[in-house]
Amino acid sequence: MSAPLLTPELLRRLEQFQLLASRRAKSTARGERRSRARGQSVEFADHRNYVAGDDFRYLDWNLYGRLDKLFLKLYEEERELPVRIFLDASESMAFGEPRKFDFARQVAAAVGYVALCGFDRVSVIPFPENKAEAAIRGALRGVRGRKSTLQYFRNLTALTASGSASFNEAMRRGALEARQAGVAVVLSDFLDPAGYESGLTALVGRGFQVNAVQILAPDELAPSTYGDLRLIDAETGGVQEVTFGKYRLAAYQQMVQNFCQRLKEFSASRGIHFFMVSSSTGLEELLLKQLRQAAMWG
Amino acid sequence: MNFLSPASLLFALTIPVVIVFYLLKRKRVARLVSSTLLWQKFLAETQASAPFQKLRRNWLLILQIIMLLLAVLALSRPYFAARARHSQLRVLILDASASMQATDELPSRFEVARRQALAWVDSLRDEDKMVVLQVAANTEVKQSETSEKSALRRAIQACQAVDSTTRLLPALKMAESLIRDRGRDSNPEIHLFSDGAVPDLTDFGNQALPLVYHRIGQGANNLGIIALDARANPEDAGQRAIYVSVANFSTNQLQTDLELSLDGKLLETRPLTIRAGQTSAQVLVARQDHDGVFTVRSTLPDDLAADNQASIVSLLPQPVKVLLVTAGNRFLERALRAAPNVQLTVANDCTDSAAKFDFVTLDGITPTVWPAGNVLALHVGNTNWFASLATVESPAIVDWRSTHPVLRYVGFDNVQVSKTLVVPTPTWAVSLVDSPQAALVLAGELGRQRILWVGFDPLDSNWPLRISFPIFIANATDWLNPASARSAQLLVRAGDPFRLGLTTPATSAQVTLPNGTVHPLAVEAKANEFIFGDTFRQGVYRLRVGTNDTTFCVDLLDAAESNIKPRESLNLGTFSSVAATSLRRANLELWRWIAVGALAVLLFEWWYYHRRTV
Repeated sequence: MSAPLLTPELLRRLEQFQLLASRRAKSTARGERRSRARGQSVEFADHRNYVAGDDFRYLDWNLYGRLDKLFLKLYEEERELPVRIFLDASESMAFGEPRKFDFARQVAAAVGYVALCGFDRVSVIPFPENKAEAAIRGALRGVRGRKSTLQYFRNLTALTASGSASFNEAMRRGALEARQAGVAVVLSDFLDPAGYESGLTALVGRGFQVNAVQILAPDELAPSTYGDLRLIDAETGGVQEVTFGKYRLAAYQQMVQNFCQRLKEFSASRGIHFFMVSSSTGLEELLLKQLRQAAMWG
Repeated sequence: MNFLSPASLLFALTIPVVIVFYLLKRKRVARLVSSTLLWQKFLAETQASAPFQKLRRNWLLILQIIMLLLAVLALSRPYFAARARHSQLRVLILDASASMQATDELPSRFEVARRQALAWVDSLRDEDKMVVLQVAANTEVKQSETSEKSALRRAIQACQAVDSTTRLLPALKMAESLIRDRGRDSNPEIHLFSDGAVPDLTDFGNQALPLVYHRIGQGANNLGIIALDARANPEDAGQRAIYVSVANFSTNQLQTDLELSLDGKLLETRPLTIRAGQTSAQVLVARQDHDGVFTVRSTLPDDLAADNQASIVSLLPQPVKVLLVTAGNRFLERALRAAPNVQLTVANDCTDSAAKFDFVTLDGITPTVWPAGNVLALHVGNTNWFASLATVESPAIVDWRSTHPVLRYVGFDNVQVSKTLVVPTPTWAVSLVDSPQAALVLAGELGRQRILWVGFDPLDSNWPLRISFPIFIANATDWLNPASARSAQLLVRAGDPFRLGLTTPATSAQVTLPNGTVHPLAVEAKANEFIFGDTFRQGVYRLRVGTNDTTFCVDLLDAAESNIKPRESLNLGTFSSVAATSLRRANLELWRWIAVGALAVLLFEWWYYHRRTV
């Protein structure tokens, strides 16, 4: 059996968090999130005039005593927050030491766990399509309740990374499929030749509160292979010849910095929370520190 | 710049081959990566995507092309012709005299000259030839005419500086004879590598000698012993007086200590201060009880060491036995008796070879038996010494050779002669006193016999009444005394041969040089004279011939050689001179340096390649 995605200690600490949503929940299902809908809860929202047929239990008798008029007390309806986790399961995520996909699954597990603990609905959308995993992927859509956690983790562990993905296409489809907007967490390396801009824009446009986590392998940040290389793209099969030596390492790192910086600036311009991590980064560092500081949860 | 092998520039056509090699690419290691996106961006950012940008930016390619260009350049053998013309024959004359040992140029002037000469050999074209001469006291052909550079280099490497003077004239004559019959097109040249400390070259005054003078040397910081003699002390006959002249050729006043030692035992140290350009004459007095070698040494370290020390063999004075054959001449007899340390015997004829006398004075008498030893002949005409003989009345004395030892301090200003014999000067003698008609007084060496001939009878002149007469007789006594002649023989100038008459036959000899080296020598059985020529080092030589030991000294004692100031030009007679050339060498070939540069580029490229891949 493979190692557990998250340690019990980490799970215990994650239980204390709750996903912070800047927008009111628009879901129709009841939950624990404030919404614009009026309904039954303990949170007072407003008064309105009594009309015939209203439930007497909600009459404000104190107000009737003072004003001699009947008013009805309105309470906020608490709804659930849909949390959609876009998990890049393309071939490129299978690289790195530790593997980027493993790291991404751990982050997805943590985010899902926090959401499930907060009675939110969690949907994991791995891309690209993989028909062999259709059952597992189906089970990862619309997970609710804390009791589903174990199954959720199992399903995540069963996912594999393979195939070639189109990031933009996956994001657009995910945005369209969502009935209600909520929190979107995008876990990817963002290394798509076609770019990432239109996909992220589609999510934002749909009303999602987007959190983008870029996961890169240590070898991608600082390559340790030098010489005359013939590089073969695992996803596209494209070939790139390059002569690389230590003396060009700084230039390479600068280029990676520029790439990440552009992504960060793009995210900032769209109101997206952006995080860049190496797959060798400690999970606690990301979950308990970076995401918390960025007010993704608290 | 020109090219000795311009056809080699065609090798530049190989440069496209390097570019083709570059375009053919290297073997690359295939490697699967998650995405080539970052690499594409990386290459795009380093602006190396377009093929010609790669060409421009690839330092390895540039280095290879530079290296190839250098190799092609080296193959084409470029050279700087400078101002020198093509010359099919160059005669290299290397001055190996004492002054070339001066250390104002490091390590020495001679080594600098050798280096420059080697550079000229390097610049020799294949069809050019060269001759190497070494000149000091003698001229030595180190390498005859050849174009083989290795032989020329070997010859130059074999040259050694010696402690002798420079006799450039024979070398230039030899060089001139070598180039004389060359055609005008061949442009022969004579290259002299010297400091210019040479005597006047008047013989070449009117010749267009193609002489290129390479001046070697910079300074003139030298204090040298230029004269040394040991005589009886005139004030105390029991002592020896050593006359030393020390000259300061530098431009500063110098202080030194003059040390006198006898057979290595220090006798006296005298501090000296000599102003720039001045000569200090010193007389050092020492008591001597046995034959020995006096050595004078200046302790001041200077640029030339060869003249800081001089030695002289000093023999204890012996009485001079003189036979005077005369019909009666009181002036002459008294003059002879007045000469120092003379034992005079007077006779009216000479009936044997007078072997027990040091010399014989013939006063107008033709002896029955001619003496075998040295002769002072006054008014003796009946000899076989001269081709013809004439009598002249009242000859006018117009000139006399005051530099000759016999005429030292002797003048003929107020001497009148009523009648004299005159002779044409024979080859074995030099004329000491001249009249317009012929010589009146001759001195020379015939065989091994010294002869001093005076044409007139002193009594036929007023000479005996003049102070010059007894001085002349004293000088003659000294000059004719075989012992003093022998003393003089025991001091030779560096480079001059040492000669020793052999009284007993010998078959072998050995000479111990100043540095302790022993030279065994074979002597011909019939030889009556021993000659030793390897006297190129200053110092004391010890010779053993048979059972006889002889010590002789070799010294520089040459003011011209001690004056080590390099001459800006060489005087060829009164009206022409050759200025020092500023040319370093002609046809300066560069291929070696370019090849070294190519090698350096190759090494750098190797390092650079590893640096970027490791």
